[in-house]
Amino acid sequence: MNAPLTLAHYMTLAGILFLIGIFGALTRRNISGILMSIELMFNAANINLAAFDRFLHPEGVTGQALALFVMTVAAAEIVVGLALLLAIYRGTDTVYAEDFNLLKG
Amino acid sequence: MIEHAYLIPLIPFAASLIMMFGAKEDPHSPAPWIGIGAMAICLGMSLSILNAVAGGTVPLPYEHNWQWFSFAASIGGKSFLYDMPIGVLIDGPAALTLVVVTLVSLMVQIYSIAYMHEDARYKRYFAFVSFFTASMLGLVVSSNILVGFMSWELMGLSSYLLIGFWFEKDGPTEAQKKAFMTTKLGDSGLYLALLFIFAKVGSFQITQIHQFINQGYMTTTVATVIAIGILFGAMGKSAQFPLFIWLPDAMEGPTPGSALIHAATMVAAGIFVVARLYFVFLAAPDAMLAAAWIGCITAFMAAAMALVSYDIKRVLAFSTVSQLGFMMCALGVGGYTAGLFHLTTHAFFKALLFLGAGSVIHSVHTNDMRLMGGLSKKMPVTFLTMGAAILAIAGIPFTSGYYSKDMILANIYHANQPIFWIMLGTALMTAFYMSRLFILTFWGDDRDHEKHHHAHESPFLMTGPLVLLAFLALVSGFMLDRKGLVYSLLAKPTITAPQAPAAAEAHPAEAKPAEAHPAEAKPAEHAAVAVPVEHAAPATEAPAEAHAAAASHEGGEAEHHEGHLPHWLHLALPFLVLGSIGLAFFLYKGPKYAVADGLKANLAPVFRLLDRRWFLDDAFDLLVVLCDKVAALAFWIDANVVDRVFVDGWGLLMRIVAEVSNLLDALFVDRTVDGFGGLSLDLGVGLRALVKDGQVQEYLMYAAIAFSLAATLILTR
Amino acid sequence: MIDQIVFYSLALLTVASALAVVLHRNTVHSSLFLGLSLAGVAGIYASLGADFLFGAQIMVYVSGIAVLVMFVVMLLGRASDLHLRQVNERWMAALLVCAVAAVGLFKVARLHAGTVVTAAAKPGTHDIGRLFLGEWLLPFELISLVLLAALLGAVFFTRTEKAS
Repeated sequence: MNAPLTLAHYMTLAGILFLIGIFGALTRRNISGILMSIELMFNAANINLAAFDRFLHPEGVTGQALALFVMTVAAAEIVVGLALLLAIYRGTDTVYAEDFNLLKG
Repeated sequence: MIEHAYLIPLIPFAASLIMMFGAKEDPHSPAPWIGIGAMAICLGMSLSILNAVAGGTVPLPYEHNWQWFSFAASIGGKSFLYDMPIGVLIDGPAALTLVVVTLVSLMVQIYSIAYMHEDARYKRYFAFVSFFTASMLGLVVSSNILVGFMSWELMGLSSYLLIGFWFEKDGPTEAQKKAFMTTKLGDSGLYLALLFIFAKVGSFQITQIHQFINQGYMTTTVATVIAIGILFGAMGKSAQFPLFIWLPDAMEGPTPGSALIHAATMVAAGIFVVARLYFVFLAAPDAMLAAAWIGCITAFMAAAMALVSYDIKRVLAFSTVSQLGFMMCALGVGGYTAGLFHLTTHAFFKALLFLGAGSVIHSVHTNDMRLMGGLSKKMPVTFLTMGAAILAIAGIPFTSGYYSKDMILANIYHANQPIFWIMLGTALMTAFYMSRLFILTFWGDDRDHEKHHHAHESPFLMTGPLVLLAFLALVSGFMLDRKGLVYSLLAKPTITAPQAPAAAEAHPAEAKPAEAHPAEAKPAEHAAVAVPVEHAAPATEAPAEAHAAAASHEGGEAEHHEGHLPHWLHLALPFLVLGSIGLAFFLYKGPKYAVADGLKANLAPVFRLLDRRWFLDDAFDLLVVLCDKVAALAFWIDANVVDRVFVDGWGLLMRIVAEVSNLLDALFVDRTVDGFGGLSLDLGVGLRALVKDGQVQEYLMYAAIAFSLAATLILTR
Repeated sequence: MIDQIVFYSLALLTVASALAVVLHRNTVHSSLFLGLSLAGVAGIYASLGADFLFGAQIMVYVSGIAVLVMFVVMLLGRASDLHLRQVNERWMAALLVCAVAAVGLFKVARLHAGTVVTAAAKPGTHDIGRLFLGEWLLPFELISLVLLAALLGAVFFTRTEKAS
């Protein structure tokens, strides 16, 4: 507990968050749950970026700026994703991923 | 003032644009005064520049450049950055020419106010004249030969516009086309010369080209090619044999415009460009010799044609061609100073002659001298001023033409004896045909009572310029010759070639006997073109060559020495001229000139030859027809031989190859492609069996497995 | 010491709420926990000294995206959902994947076990502004285009067709 905080701490936290996100994306049946998991993965990546910026290049803000870009893309993604979800729900009356098998050849 | 020399071409250019686009067409339009005012400003600037240059208060040559553009080029794997500055280069000849051009243009414009006042396109004419003058001034001041070439072409355009000014008639339109195309033929030579210069020197700056030659980088062969190209351009512009055919036809334009073309702008440009790039000629003795002979032939042929013509303007046109031949010949034999001196004096008296002829035509409404006669009583001012001009061009002592022509003949005499005797004859012919013109027009009694009755003296706006120009025609030679001003102002450029100065030092003693006893020195001088050249002179030619080298290298004193004919010839020349004038009086005095007509009947073939202008026009026609025939033949060969054998045959061959290739393609290549397609199809079908029911998350799972395995394997390696 | 306490508590908050997002049976609760987890991440940013990122995280994620997700979830939710499993039958395989990935990730993280902070944190908003409107102007404009496209896409997809 007394050891100084290193970059490894932050990377570990980001890794755990990312794995939780992957697990969620793979296992949630509800599409909105999948979207939420994806948001978690984005945030894991952003923690990494902010941490690299702080630990490896404290003189610049490039990492933070990149994180902002990721954040913007994530916002765009979730908006489109939710819009698609609404459209799908309107058409098929379900939100469960296993009910969609149009990809089956 | 000299630092604002760039304004000199720009002011008339702006004036011409204002007149062209800013003023309304109206026979009483005040627009021409814009052009006259602009030209007066330019004249003032030019005079102040000349004053500074002649007084030695500015170091010569004055050069100032501005950045224009630059470009990078990669040649042979190396990359170069070329700079193209734009700027002014003022040396003695340029300063003098500026004054001549602006002065003549100003006189012509003032004169035209009265001459053109009834014309429907009054202000357009003045816009053209201003534009023409601006182009010439641009050529004169430019330090960049590319800009000079642009001005040169603009001049071609404005001559086209001015010659065809009365385009409703057939004559002017034909003449303008002829002038444009003939001069373009010459321009192509100049263009090639410019390309050569840039390829060799990498710059269009005149001073840099000079330096390049000074440092001995240019071989004689290259210099000869370039010089011949420049000479070709000058042959077109300055109407030299055989491209002078356009100039007599160019008389279709308004007479003051002809005066401008003949005295100040167009034809002076060719001589000026040769003088400007004279160092190239100095490095190319063969080109110098060619220039000398072309000048000589031109002078003689044109003078002969002038002997028989009855059209007052045609006579003057032929006389211009002949005088230009004198200048070209002078430049060709190394008489740089003499050639440019004659250019200056000629500008004054030739402008005067044309304006005077215009005054006569304005008054009697015909060009035919046989219908004139006895006009001296009706038009005293024109009569007297024309008389002054004729004295000058004939070379009566102490008029301007005397000084310059004397100097030219002296230069030729010391350089090339055969040319000298032809030129001497031509000079006498000049005196003859000019007196003939004068006598037929003004002397004796009237031949056509109707026309004579209506004749009247021109208004002051026309006679004023005549008087001023007459004054200059009489005294400009003396003014410039006094105290050797012409030698310092028009100093011959030199090129520092290793051998030439040595030759000059070695034989000064032999040089003097050669001059004192021309007969003895004849064999030696016969073949020599008296210029300092790079290669060592053979022993037999040494005296003449050494003398010329000394003249050009030792400065003023030696040049004074050179600028004189042998004493007996110097004294005899005025008497020969007077005799020639007397002969003209004898043949053409009286209303019927029976003696001349008798002569004409006896020498009919010769007269016919001269009247048809040596059949040169017919020769060119024949050439065009021949070219047409050759082109037709070439077309026939192309259509029937080349197309049949090569194009069609090649097509057939290609078709056969294509068929074979198609077969191979179907047999082998397509099979391979099909094979790959089938393989991936099979693979896809096989893999799909693994997937149960096409769910998103299932695919995601496979992707995650692949990704996590790959990432972990790579990261833990 | 304060640093460590702050970090570990924030990490705990983030990871616990993230697990709740993934595992909770009720989707509405999941979305609430998402907001909490994102707020935790915002705290992590703050502990890293990224002031502007902190603000942006709060405004965009916690008060924007999380709320949006919540709305959609409530819009689509049904009472019967509460009695259905929210995790599919492939959770074992997913766990295996996560374990494999974890090996690689922690291997990398261990490389930086000795990297500590060398300089004091300083406010970065000014520099980010300069970067975006200077050197990175083109990406900045492009990302605004992406947002515009997303906006149009959302409108397009959610549009109700007129009864024809």
